[in-house]
Amino acid sequence: MDLKLKEKFALKIQYLLGWITFPFWGTFLIALLRFVGRYKVQQLCEIRKQYKQLKRSVEGPIIVCSNHLTKIDSVILNWSFASIFSYMRSYKIFSWNLPERANFYQNFILRILCYLGSCVPIDRGGSRSVVKKSLDKVIYLLKKGHTITVFPEGGRSRTGRIDLDRFTYGVGRLVNRVKDCNVLCVYLRGHNQEKYSNIPPRGARFYLNMELIKPQSRHSGLRATRDVASQIINKLVLMEQAYFATARQ
Amino acid sequence: MTKDEVFKKIVDILGKYSKTEIKMENISMETSILDDLKINSARLVDIVLDFEDVFDIEVDDDDADSVATVGDGVNLIMAKI
Repeated sequence: MDLKLKEKFALKIQYLLGWITFPFWGTFLIALLRFVGRYKVQQLCEIRKQYKQLKRSVEGPIIVCSNHLTKIDSVILNWSFASIFSYMRSYKIFSWNLPERANFYQNFILRILCYLGSCVPIDRGGSRSVVKKSLDKVIYLLKKGHTITVFPEGGRSRTGRIDLDRFTYGVGRLVNRVKDCNVLCVYLRGHNQEKYSNIPPRGARFYLNMELIKPQSRHSGLRATRDVASQIINKLVLMEQAYFATARQ
Repeated sequence: MTKDEVFKKIVDILGKYSKTEIKMENISMETSILDDLKINSARLVDIVLDFEDVFDIEVDDDDADSVATVGDGVNLIMAKI
């Protein structure tokens, strides 16, 4: 990993600015979700309690791996995991995100929100050196104990279900590069979300289920990367099956 | 093994993963695996793992990252066999 001192400093500044300004933009975003989108998360208190317990019970950083159906999934995940007050007390539990630069960095206001909201932009399909630089930043943050949210499907699922054809192995590389890395598999879905969309349908009630795993592989190198990523995506598939077998009924 | 033989074997491997119809005569050393053959980055990892199996070599993450074109794959394999 060859992150320069100034890049590490820039991440620290981004984190601190996000924390200081969180009461303003955090409240604004949650107000948008609750009053404009009229979204609700089912069993919100239980989810937050479970997340808090998970964070306390594990050693090592956590990568949140979720299915991906809308552009604001990471916002809904952070909203679900803890209250504004919890984030103000300990901003380190706020998860960093890896949005695609082309989707979120064209608009000035979105760019500011992404910066304050702990985003490390990724250039999907960009040059390997640029992608590697973003991955190095993420690995640095994980080693510092931050939480990262990753969507292993590599984009919103075009099928409306976990997309096994498009899922990427990058998460496997992250897990293998960071010692004691935990993976929190999350299945998130609005009750009226049939396919992918930019934002969830108005009035969506979100189901959220999470399971912590510690993927390991007997292989090394690229095979380990693929092995670990496969374990994560297979867990998400099982969680999706459980959702459609029970919760959707 | 010659460069031509490596090239032919790589084209065979790519054929399993490409979603576009590959015409053998259209593939050159400059053909981009991601853009021209419409293969995503995860499948590129599968391809590099196939290189390991077929040519009995080991490729680390950084070497795998350097593979963008068919020529990159050929050069990587030639350097390792």
